[in-house]
Amino acid sequence: MHNEQIEEHFKNRNVTEIDSNYYMVDIAPYPTDGWGKFKRVLKRSFRGELFVGLWVVLREMIKFDTHTIKYPEEKMPIGPRYRAVHEMKRLWESDTERCIGCGLCEKICISNCIRIDTKLDENSRKEVTEYSINLGRCIFCGYCAEVCPELAITHGGEYENASDQREHYIMYQDMLTPLDKMKAGTQLEFEGFGAVTPHEDERVKKTPLAY
Amino acid sequence: MNKEINFKIDGISVVAKKGETILTVARKNSIYIPTMCYISKTTPCASCRMCVVEASGMDGFVLSCNTPPVEGIEITTNSQALNHERTNIMKLYDVNHPLECGVCDKSGECDLQNKTLEFDVERQSFSARDQLRPLKKWGLIDYEPSLCIMCEKCVHVCNEVIGDDAIEIQLGGYKSTIVPKGSDVLDCTFCGECIAVCPVGALTSSGFKYRANAWELNRVPATCAHCSAGCPLEYETRHSSINGDDEIYRVKNNFEFTSLCGAGRFGFDFDNKAIKDESAFNSAIEALKEAKAIRFSSIITNEEAHILELLKDKLGIKLFNEDARVFAEFMKSYSSISGKLHHSGSLDAIKQSDAVIVIGSRIATDNPGVRYAMTTAAKHNGAKIVYAHPMEDALMQNVTTQMMKYEVGTEEGVMALLAHSILKDADLDDKERAFFEDLDFGYLYAETNIGEEEFSLMMKSFSRAKKRTLIIGNDLIAHERAANIAKLAALIEKYSDFSLVVVPREVNTLGVSLINSLDRDEDISNVVGYNAKGSFVISSLDGAHLAVPALNQQEGTVVSIDNRVLPTNVSLEFDGYILNDIARSFGIEKEETVEYTKELSKSAGFKEVAFDDLENFLSSMGEDNRGYLLDEVFCEANAELEELDDLPEFNGTIIYHCDPVLQFNNYTLKAQQLPKDNFLHGSAQFSVAARISDGDIVEISFGGRKIQRKFKLDDELKGTVALNPTFDISVDAGRYRFEKSKIARVM
Repeated sequence: MHNEQIEEHFKNRNVTEIDSNYYMVDIAPYPTDGWGKFKRVLKRSFRGELFVGLWVVLREMIKFDTHTIKYPEEKMPIGPRYRAVHEMKRLWESDTERCIGCGLCEKICISNCIRIDTKLDENSRKEVTEYSINLGRCIFCGYCAEVCPELAITHGGEYENASDQREHYIMYQDMLTPLDKMKAGTQLEFEGFGAVTPHEDERVKKTPLAY
Repeated sequence: MNKEINFKIDGISVVAKKGETILTVARKNSIYIPTMCYISKTTPCASCRMCVVEASGMDGFVLSCNTPPVEGIEITTNSQALNHERTNIMKLYDVNHPLECGVCDKSGECDLQNKTLEFDVERQSFSARDQLRPLKKWGLIDYEPSLCIMCEKCVHVCNEVIGDDAIEIQLGGYKSTIVPKGSDVLDCTFCGECIAVCPVGALTSSGFKYRANAWELNRVPATCAHCSAGCPLEYETRHSSINGDDEIYRVKNNFEFTSLCGAGRFGFDFDNKAIKDESAFNSAIEALKEAKAIRFSSIITNEEAHILELLKDKLGIKLFNEDARVFAEFMKSYSSISGKLHHSGSLDAIKQSDAVIVIGSRIATDNPGVRYAMTTAAKHNGAKIVYAHPMEDALMQNVTTQMMKYEVGTEEGVMALLAHSILKDADLDDKERAFFEDLDFGYLYAETNIGEEEFSLMMKSFSRAKKRTLIIGNDLIAHERAANIAKLAALIEKYSDFSLVVVPREVNTLGVSLINSLDRDEDISNVVGYNAKGSFVISSLDGAHLAVPALNQQEGTVVSIDNRVLPTNVSLEFDGYILNDIARSFGIEKEETVEYTKELSKSAGFKEVAFDDLENFLSSMGEDNRGYLLDEVFCEANAELEELDDLPEFNGTIIYHCDPVLQFNNYTLKAQQLPKDNFLHGSAQFSVAARISDGDIVEISFGGRKIQRKFKLDDELKGTVALNPTFDISVDAGRYRFEKSKIARVM
């Protein structure tokens, strides 16, 4: 829409004059005198509409085939791209942690809720010594998972993070896939943005080697 | 000879001066030529071949970094062939380069990363057999050969700018690597300049390694707080742990044009931590009300010095600062001959010199900035460097062309002889000429122990020099006869083409000497110490009665050796009280300390510029745009030279107050990474004279003081003078640095 038209809209609030798609809903005129109002009360009271609603409830009660999910006993299945509490994944090959401590998640976090500390460990590798996410601040935007070069931090399906404190932290150890789960091969990959696409193997180019 | 060369780069007409290469002209005219190994402050390494360009009438490519243009030539910086060549170079750099960007310290500020992306290297077509290249640990520096791209920048700066000449290339084709020169371990001053210039993550700081990444750190531009060179640096800060406060992770510098010593680079964690302690604050106020004087160090900003001066007027007390006082006295005598307040030289002047005399300073440790400037002059201009001092310095051997070894205490005589040789043909007035004619040369040559032929050798080597610099160190400033020495120095500057650099001892000795009117230190009670000792101590060091912020937690200005007023900024927050709070409770009302910046004494050369209006950057061509240069102030010049005093004799076991490399003061002592070499260093001759041997604990008595130190036999030293560090003790800075001492073995 052109600017003039938009301006026209703002100046003239009478929509019927600008756009003919608007029409008045057909509503019977409201009663104005006392007698008319009394008649309306009688009509509404004895029309039996109440019982229509009551019947629907009764019918659903005796059918035992409700669509209501009985949370918390029952839970809805969550989509693979759902962005709930973060998870830290392990490598399939070696079961070691995927996180390399690059700090990109901390940098990109727009609500400033991730904090990471790293150091050089005894094996001359980079070790993540501290990692926390303040879930009270987190807006679950998914940027951390998106920026992670190692697919280490991802979102999981765990959305029950009610807490009696605003500052509710989750630590690295709590997010990390437990070893037994890893050994059992039941670690789930996140399928949201940034995840490995299917057929990725076919797209990988080989690096030439001299041996 | 100052012919200008007109030529064209990419169709743009440009002008080159003599000595400029195609690359420097292109950069000056904002024309981009990619480089990997080029670094402005050294001679071209010419190892990367990225800077190739096409020149009209020539087959093949030419290296723009080391080729001077010829008149009328047309240069093309960009073509398909050039791009193909450069892409191939990048591919070769990427062969077997470990894909560890995710953890590499350099990631995010890596030249290899940038250029690989710039030239769109998405497919590797070369390969080479990789080999085992284990990590080398060289103390403060780690070297990872597998990441090294052999650009040779580190070797060039180490040799040409720093002067350590500690690393070299071990040639071997694809096996080439950087190795410590002539030994298995790296033996150098650990300036860390090689870390700074390394375009990849091959040379890294072992203390910083894997602690943070480039993108996580906040940069705070500041001025180094350790010596008067006033090097620009950036403190990089970040939170210390999940709930921790900010801390400084590392220091970086604009390595393209400036250098930093190891103390500046690794000695950054001297910040003070405190909270507002009201009772301590009140007792500080009480102590000041009672006080007869304030004793302070020169490791403060100009604004703090100004506040102290205001406090002095308000409370009617004295100000003690021996270090700045002797400097001020020296400069006063200098002005009485030269007719101006400030010395004419600067670090840049030293860099451009082709003849340098440095006298009265163990300059490599006193002021590394001056040393680097001298190294640059020696390596780039072939400057003749005369090093006049009673002791040889192994660190200066690489650049010194003539060692002038004089007897301890005879500085006045040496200066007179120097002035005599330099001003032989100068247009002196009669009185000055008479002074030189009256000199007892036989006595002077004998007592200083410098032969006449040494001076004529010096003058001969200087004969073709065009830019000459005289550097005066602290031994002359704190000398008993400093006044006459200053006059001689002024005379040299006035009547010859020598520019003069007087090296201030501490970071802001120069500023304090200009701002404060200082009194001679007296040993009285009721002295409040400000970063110095006293009956009540207000200090940013440990053990203070009231804590104040250190220099890296303050904003303000300092005056460097270049007479430049340099701004510095707050890198870490300080929660306690500051000097301005104290001043405010005495009715000296200003909201912020930096409001005093524009009130600094105009009669000393300060300009009326507010702190927030001070620039703080180096231009892309390396021009220093930090702060401003002090205005030259002229004064009356009516003094005359005094007759030389008898030259004193120093016999027996003499100690020289001199800090080891990487140490300057109590603040560098606080820094975790810096080695704390607090041994008494002496030669074999000294150990015989003092009847002590290596490893002995000795008691050193000098000037009414007694300290205990471990003795270390140092092969690099000669003679009967031992080096006594001062960074861990406080030595009266107004005293001559050589001291007669008594050394007794304790165990």
